[in-house]
Amino acid sequence: MRDNAKSGALTEVTFFVLLALYEPRHGYAIMQFIEDKTNGRLVLGAGSLYGAIDSLCKKGWIELYDDSDVRKKEYRITDLGKQIAEQELARLTEVTQIAEEIIGG
Amino acid sequence: MEKKVNRFFGASTEIQAKWLNRMASEGWKLIRTGKMSYEFESCDPGKVQYAVEFIADKSQKNAEDYKAFLEGCGYKVWYKNANLSYSVGKVRWRPWAEAGGQITTSWTTYNKELLIVEKENDGKPFELHTTATDRIGFLKKWRNVWLTYTTMFFLMGILFLFQTPIASIVFGGLGLLSLIPVVLYQEQIRKIKKMDDLQE
Repeated sequence: MRDNAKSGALTEVTFFVLLALYEPRHGYAIMQFIEDKTNGRLVLGAGSLYGAIDSLCKKGWIELYDDSDVRKKEYRITDLGKQIAEQELARLTEVTQIAEEIIGG
Repeated sequence: MEKKVNRFFGASTEIQAKWLNRMASEGWKLIRTGKMSYEFESCDPGKVQYAVEFIADKSQKNAEDYKAFLEGCGYKVWYKNANLSYSVGKVRWRPWAEAGGQITTSWTTYNKELLIVEKENDGKPFELHTTATDRIGFLKKWRNVWLTYTTMFFLMGILFLFQTPIASIVFGGLGLLSLIPVVLYQEQIRKIKKMDDLQE
């Protein structure tokens, strides 16, 4: 996960994992969520997702929700994570507005 | 129909994955692995795809957790050895591994250096690592493995400097040789990082 320290921009993968976890999901369900929502534009490898889940847990943006099945541990977003996602939405909205002004929407 | 093929690829993950994928395209899917062998059963050509990952830098707990995660994604997963050692009481130091994985024994992670991962072919390329951060991590892992050899060879070279200059030269030479992959990996890391500034 590479987060730009200056602008606070999230990587696309980080943002999508956060969005996927507004409902509790396990790893494979996160992968499917991202693929479905982007119509297959963004495909996330399982190894990369595993790393992303690990670093987002360490940051406290997501948390373990249910580990009764060790193969299908479920995660969900935390309050801090929601705050980060909302900030990202605001940033993206601002970027989109500026771009539309210049390029013409 | 089943068949057993004797092959050993050491720690080379890419060549091994390529070979397994070729077997799959010829209609053979993996059922079992041995130290130097692979057992296959016949299947529809191209029914499955393979990826191979080097995981010797992980602790036993994290390796097992990662394997379970991949199985939860619907993949079949096998451990595979990257060495050929049959001794039971093996203990080895891996300075380049994460905390908890630096001392490996035959009861923990030794001879489980690789993971072979099988996925039902859905027509898309099968990659476990898709982000730039991850690709850099992968390259750094290999750079550090080689850097460990470089350091050890140079240390041996210094150790022999006054007693056996010939040995010192040999170790120095080996040190320089092992520095080549270090430089090559570093160069690839630099290139990705440069791209990363412009594009995700």
